[in-house]
Amino acid sequence: MAIVVRLDELLHARRITLTELAARVDITLANLSILKTGKAKAIRFSTLEAICTALECQPGDLLARDPTLPAEE
Amino acid sequence: MTRSSIRALAFARPVIQGLTVLNLVYALGLAALFVFSFFIEGWPTRPLGDFASTHPQLGNGLRAIVVIGFVAALIVHTILRRLLAMVDTVRDGDPFILENAERLTAIAWSVLALEVLRLGVMTIGSIVWEPGRLGEFSFTPWLAVLLLFVLSGVFTHGARLRADLEGTV
Repeated sequence: MAIVVRLDELLHARRITLTELAARVDITLANLSILKTGKAKAIRFSTLEAICTALECQPGDLLARDPTLPAEE
Repeated sequence: MTRSSIRALAFARPVIQGLTVLNLVYALGLAALFVFSFFIEGWPTRPLGDFASTHPQLGNGLRAIVVIGFVAALIVHTILRRLLAMVDTVRDGDPFILENAERLTAIAWSVLALEVLRLGVMTIGSIVWEPGRLGEFSFTPWLAVLLLFVLSGVFTHGARLRADLEGTV
């Protein structure tokens, strides 16, 4: 998948742990962990909105496209 | 899951296992019949009497049908094994997987093969003991084959959607 989730960088910049974010956005730690490790296949707009609201960022800050990575089959 | 479907599921496993055993017995019986047909003196004239003497190709025809029946039993065995695996995934609570879609497709091809074999038996019958008369043709099994292919397609799509949903956060 050429789409990269930059959740780890955003959390690090804002000094927030994944557990704290899970509590703020009401998303399970397991799901956030899937998102952070790049194992998610899709993200709901509601999840994106909740994370962006909690981290005070834009969707573009969270997601990026890395052309060096292989596209999903 | 409704109560009736839970009950049906509870029955499905032993029924399929029972059918598997019956089918194996049937296959062994056919194999034995085929082998013994070469060793029984005067076969098939002695057991079938005048009918065999008026139909010279009867022996070969019956042997061919027995071989087709044996092959059909092997195909039925694969169908039952796949069906059992599918029932097990339902019991485990995770039936919408690509493996089941592949199993359903394989079952559809197997049922198609069984129908082709049935046509083969009808053709042999029309050649050997009823020249020029082909047995009754039924559309129902072919409709079942079509339905199985459609279902396997729907299942494949559903399993892909399920896989996508699983990775959605």
